[in-house]
Amino acid sequence: MNDSMSIPHLIMNASGVVQFVMLLLMIGSVLSWIVVFQRSFVMRRARKAHRAFEDRFWSGVDLNELYRDAPAEGETQGAEHIFRAGFREFNRLMPKTRSPQAILDGVQRSMRVAWSREEERLNLHLVFLATVASASPYIGLFGTVWGIMGSFQSLSMAQQATLATVAPWIAEALVATAMGLFAAIPAVIFYNRLSAESSRLLGKYEDFAEEFHSILHRNLQGRPDAGAA
Amino acid sequence: MAKPQRRKTLKRSAGRVGYGLPTVLAVALHLGILVISVIKWPSSEPEAPNNAIVQATLISTETRTDQAQQAAEARTRAAERQAQEEAERQAQEEAERQAREAAEQQAAEEAERQAAEQQAQQEAEQQAREEAAEQAQAEAERRAAEAEAAAQRKAEEEAEREAARQQAEQERQAEAERRRQEEAARQQEAERQAREEAEQKAREEAEQQAREEAERKAQEEAERQAREAAEQQAREEAERKAQEEAERQAREAAEQKAREEAERQARQEAERKAQEEAERQAREAAEQKAREEAERQLQRIIEGDSSAVSNAEQGNEAANGFIQLVRRAVEQAWVIPPNVGDGTTAEVQVRLGPSGEVFAATVTRSSGNAAFDNSAIQAVESAAPFTELRDLPSGVQRDYRQFNLRFRPGDIR
Repeated sequence: MNDSMSIPHLIMNASGVVQFVMLLLMIGSVLSWIVVFQRSFVMRRARKAHRAFEDRFWSGVDLNELYRDAPAEGETQGAEHIFRAGFREFNRLMPKTRSPQAILDGVQRSMRVAWSREEERLNLHLVFLATVASASPYIGLFGTVWGIMGSFQSLSMAQQATLATVAPWIAEALVATAMGLFAAIPAVIFYNRLSAESSRLLGKYEDFAEEFHSILHRNLQGRPDAGAA
Repeated sequence: MAKPQRRKTLKRSAGRVGYGLPTVLAVALHLGILVISVIKWPSSEPEAPNNAIVQATLISTETRTDQAQQAAEARTRAAERQAQEEAERQAQEEAERQAREAAEQQAAEEAERQAAEQQAQQEAEQQAREEAAEQAQAEAERRAAEAEAAAQRKAEEEAEREAARQQAEQERQAEAERRRQEEAARQQEAERQAREEAEQKAREEAEQQAREEAERKAQEEAERQAREAAEQQAREEAERKAQEEAERQAREAAEQKAREEAERQARQEAERKAQEEAERQAREAAEQKAREEAERQLQRIIEGDSSAVSNAEQGNEAANGFIQLVRRAVEQAWVIPPNVGDGTTAEVQVRLGPSGEVFAATVTRSSGNAAFDNSAIQAVESAAPFTELRDLPSGVQRDYRQFNLRFRPGDIR
């Protein structure tokens, strides 16, 4: 009883389709966990980087110096990326137009693009996590249904249908559902957590973009006067 | 410019997260879960308290708790019984054989004696018959001989007479010849004389012939008469003999009938005896056969050859399976009433029909708690019918038509 009902034994004795389903779920589970770990690391670093950047930004450092210190575009992440995109646009537009509104529009557009890129980067693979979370119970259920179908088919040939003869089949079939849930539950939890984290970070980036925009706006408020003067 | 470059690489390595480490972590996590599941299952198995809640013990009418021990006991018992039976049978056979032999001997002696008597009788009769026949024959012979002798004598006399006559005739002929010679010498007259003589001779001859004829006829007549007399005598003799024979035959027939009657009786007796003997033998043979059959069956069930053993084992296995099935079915159907102590035990005797339906379920040992007893009976009734009974080998089915179930809640194994 111990041996025949252990999970590895059940997996080994399952039928082909059920085994395939289990393999699929196993792969899904591993991939979702990879995504979970990777995203967790990404989020943590993004949070750290954001905190560090905000500290630096609000430390009263000169924006030009900050811009020069920051690495080239494409390499930066998070708020820094938005800052760089906005500030570069600002610097590019400054010599060309005198209209503060046009400059601010350009800066805002460029910052929105950068923010959108950040959003894409942060939410990368989270959709996969969501897919695993929603689909793997169904896949597991499919495996279970298939296994129970097989068990009933073989049961119809058996002489005496007792619980003892049905039990291994059903246990075997139910392993598929168990594996589906095993893959789905962490995926759901971490999807929610990571997407919340990502949206919180994106909110912070948005806030930063707004603040930066207001700083630039404030700077430009003085400048048209000077320009006009 | 070197400083930002360095910083860039540093930032890059810090900012970008690769997939290597997460992959390793995820795989490690799964392996860890797998290992835990493998390791934890056996250890968690003993403390699985599922089947400790309900405990239904099945006790067959024959205590089948230890199959092997029981089989061994049965084997020894069977061997003892066999030996005993063997001895009994031998003794019985011995006695029977002795009785049979004695009876046979007696019968044989009787038959022999009867046969001897019969033989003696037969012999005596035969002797008498033979004697009579001999006597008759002798008489007939004697009479025939006498007749023959008479005839012979007559014939002899006649022959003698004839011979004498012939001789005389011869002499006469010779004389006549001489005379003829004399006459021839005399010639003429002689011729006439001769002719006359010849005529006379012829006449004489004719006379003689006639005489001879008459004589012969007379002789023949005499012979015939003698023969007829002899024949008549013989006939009379034969008739008498036949009469005697008939009488004797009648007597013999009566005797024989009596004898046959006796024989038949004896034969019937013998036949009856033989029949009885045969019947007894047949009965004995049948008994022995039945005994042998029973033994063989016993052997087949208990020891016997390997296939029989395997069959018996299969039967036992099937029976054990049946017990397990019944136990499980009853366990599952059992709803334990609340507020029942762990030590409460009830025993229910279950009698099954041939197809596994429950004929009767009665509480043989009450637990003292009526609700508990009723729950046990209800469990048996709701678990019925036990159609698996039909799958058992037919020889084992009977043993499992009646069994006891012991109901005991609690986690005591």
